[in-house]
Amino acid sequence: MSPTTRWGVGDDPSPTRRGVLTAAVAAPALAALSSCATGIATSSGADGLTLLNYEDIDAATLLREQLAQLETDSGISTTVDTVPGSGAAQFPDKLRTRILGGNAPDVWQIWGGQIGQPFVDADLTQDLEEYYGTYGWDSALSTSGIDGMTFHGARHGVPLNVASLGAWCNARVFEEAGATIPSTYDELETANELILASGVTPGGFGGKYGWHIMRLYEYLLEVCAGPDLHDALLRGEESWDQQAVVESFDLFRAWSDRGWITDGALGVAPADAEQSFVQGTTAFTISGPWIESQYIVPSGKPREEFGTFLLPTGHESVRHSGFIEGLMISSTCGAPDDAAALIDFLVQPDVQRSLQNTQSAALEAPPDPEMFPLSAQWAQIREQSEIYTIQDQAFPKAVADSYFAVQSDVLQGALDGPQAARDMQQIVSDWTETR
Amino acid sequence: MSAHTLDRTAARSTRRRTDQPGRARPGLLPLAFAAPALVLYLGFLVWPALQALWISLTDWDGLSDQQNFVGLDNYLALFDDKVVGIAAVNNVLWSIVTIVLPMTLGLLFAVVLNRKSRTSPIFRTIFYAPAVLPLVSIASIWAWLYDPSDGAINTVLRTIGLSGLEQSWLGQDSTALWSVMIPAVWVRTGFPMLLYLAALQSIPDELYEAASMDGANRRKQFTRITFPSLRDTHYIVLALSLIESFKVFDLVYAMTYGGPGYSTQVMGTWMYANVFQYFNAGYGTAIAVVITVVAVAAGIPYVRSQVKSS
Repeated sequence: MSPTTRWGVGDDPSPTRRGVLTAAVAAPALAALSSCATGIATSSGADGLTLLNYEDIDAATLLREQLAQLETDSGISTTVDTVPGSGAAQFPDKLRTRILGGNAPDVWQIWGGQIGQPFVDADLTQDLEEYYGTYGWDSALSTSGIDGMTFHGARHGVPLNVASLGAWCNARVFEEAGATIPSTYDELETANELILASGVTPGGFGGKYGWHIMRLYEYLLEVCAGPDLHDALLRGEESWDQQAVVESFDLFRAWSDRGWITDGALGVAPADAEQSFVQGTTAFTISGPWIESQYIVPSGKPREEFGTFLLPTGHESVRHSGFIEGLMISSTCGAPDDAAALIDFLVQPDVQRSLQNTQSAALEAPPDPEMFPLSAQWAQIREQSEIYTIQDQAFPKAVADSYFAVQSDVLQGALDGPQAARDMQQIVSDWTETR
Repeated sequence: MSAHTLDRTAARSTRRRTDQPGRARPGLLPLAFAAPALVLYLGFLVWPALQALWISLTDWDGLSDQQNFVGLDNYLALFDDKVVGIAAVNNVLWSIVTIVLPMTLGLLFAVVLNRKSRTSPIFRTIFYAPAVLPLVSIASIWAWLYDPSDGAINTVLRTIGLSGLEQSWLGQDSTALWSVMIPAVWVRTGFPMLLYLAALQSIPDELYEAASMDGANRRKQFTRITFPSLRDTHYIVLALSLIESFKVFDLVYAMTYGGPGYSTQVMGTWMYANVFQYFNAGYGTAIAVVITVVAVAAGIPYVRSQVKSS
C-alpha cells in the first residue's frame, strides 16, 4: 500500500484521512477555546444593549414596546431578557450566573441595600455620578430612591421603583365581619378577632423563602421597638437581646397561635398567599401596589372590594417598610453612554406611565388613579409616612436566612421570645464583626 | 509448558500477525479517533473539576477577581457549620428512603407486570410516566397537593373525617423532609421497575417450570430463582440510586427552599446557597467537592462490576 493511497497525500485534492482526523480533533478544541474567548467578552456596542430584569410577561411586553420607540427615535437598540417571578431570593443568582458565564447584561435591574451591594463591591458596576449631572436625575427622581441606589457614598444605580409596603385589605371581608380599618395596634387586634370569628383568616402570609412573613415580623418589631431602636437594630448598633425584641417575637408567635395568620404559613409560597388574599380566603396582607396590577386586576374582582391602609404602630412617626429597585450599568458595558441614555429614557414620566408603573421613582409619574385607584390611594397614604429599610435588604442574604430560621423556630414553638432575641443578637453580632 | 511460556508464545504470535506486510499497526490512530471525545471530556469535565478543586482552596466570593489561597480552611470550616450537619443527616435519610422504597416498589411492580396481560403495558406506562416529568413541575404539583388550606391531601382528610391528621406538611420541621421524599419515591420507582422488568425477561422459563415440577410454590420461586437472578440488576440500581440520592437538589429547592429554617437543607442546596447566594464560592465549592467524592466513592463498586463483567 503506497503512502499516497493510504493517506491521500500528494496531488489528490480530496480531504485526507489525516486531515479529517486533525480537523476532528481541532474543531471541538477550537470551539471550546472560542466559547471561552467569546464568553469573556460582553455584549453591547454594535449588537445593541442587553437589559436583564424580573418583570412579568405583561410588563415586559409593555417595556419592549417602549424600547422599540427608543430605537426608532435614537437608534439605541435594546434586547430585554426577563426572569419573571424570580424575586429577590432568586434573581441575584441568575444575574450572578450570567455575569460569571461571560454574558453580563449591559444594564440590569436590582434591589438596593444588601442585595445590590455585592455587585458594587465586586467592581461589576459603573459609578453613574457623571450621568446624574448630565441627565438631572437628582431633581427628577425620588431622593430616598437615589439614597437606596447609593453604595459607599457613590451612585452606582438609578432608582426605578420606590416600593413601599402597607396593608392591603379585602373591604368586603372586613365589612361582613363588622371590623373597621384600624387606626391603632389594639384596633388591629380587635379587627383580627372579629374577622376570625366570621370564619376568615385575618392575615395572609407565605413563609416559604422567609421574606413574605418577615413583613409581619418587621411590622411588629416597629410596633414594639419604635423607629429609632428599630433602625439601630438593623444597623447592628443596638443589641437584639433586649425587652422590645423579646416582646416582638412573643407577639409574632401570638399572631400564629391565635390563628391570625395563614394556617401552616411557613410552607406557603408568597404568590399563593397573595392570591388567597385576593380570593377572599384571608382578609389582608402586607404588600406593595404591584398587588393591584399583578393580582387584583387579573382576578376580575371589582376594585371596590379592596382597600389599603397604613399599619398602625402607635408611635408618633408612623412608618412603613419599603425598598428600592433600580438599574445598574455593567462595568464591562461597551457603550455606557447608550446605557445611560436608555436609563434616562426609562425614567421619563411619560414612559413610566406607559409602563403602568404604580411605584415609580420618577416624581412626576404617580399611579394613574383611573387605571390603578388602589395604588393611587396608597401613594397618597405613603406620602404621610416615612420608610424603614425592609429587613431582607438591611441584612446580607446569609444573615437574612439565619434570621428567617429564627422566625421559623419562633412560629413552630422551638424558640421562645428571649431565646429568639439572644439568637438574633448572635447572628447580627457575627455579621457586624466581619463587616 | 508453563503458563509464563504460553504467554510469551502468544505474545510473539500476536506480534508476528501485526508485523505482516500490508497490515497497519494501530499506533496513534485509535487515540486520534478518541481525541474529539477526549478533548470534550477534558475541556468540559476534567478542567472544570480541577478549577473547582482550586476554588475550594480559596476564599473567592464568586464575583470579584480576588482568589486568595486558604489551604484546607474551607474543608475544616465544614465541621463547624451546623447546617452542614443538618444537611448531611438529611442526605443520609434521603438516600435510605429514596433508595429502599423505589427499589422495593420497582421490584414489586416489575414482578406483577412481568406477566403476559393486555393491561401490563398500560400499567408499565403509568408507573414509568412520573420519571419523564420535569422535577420542577412535579415539585409544583406536590406543593399544591400539600397546601395546608386548599391542598388535596388535607381536603381528603377533612372529607373522610380525619381532620385530626391534617398537617402543614411543608411548613413544619417534623414533616417537611418526609413530605418531599414522597414525590421523590413516586418519581423514582419507574426506573428500577424498568431495569427489573428487563432483567426478569432474561430469566429462562425452564427454571420456573422445573421448580414447579419440584413443588416449589410462588414465594419459593421468587426467593430461590427470581431474586438471586436479579443480583446484577440490584447492584446497578443500587449504585445509580445512591449517586442520584446524594446529588438531590431540585425537589428540595423547589418545594421547600431548604426550609422551614434549615430543616430540609441537603448538601446540594447548601452548596448552592453558599456559592450563588451568600457569595462564599470557595466554601460552597468545598461542599461540592465533598458531594462529588462521596458520589464517586459510591459509584466505584458499580464501575468495577461493569469492568469485570465486560
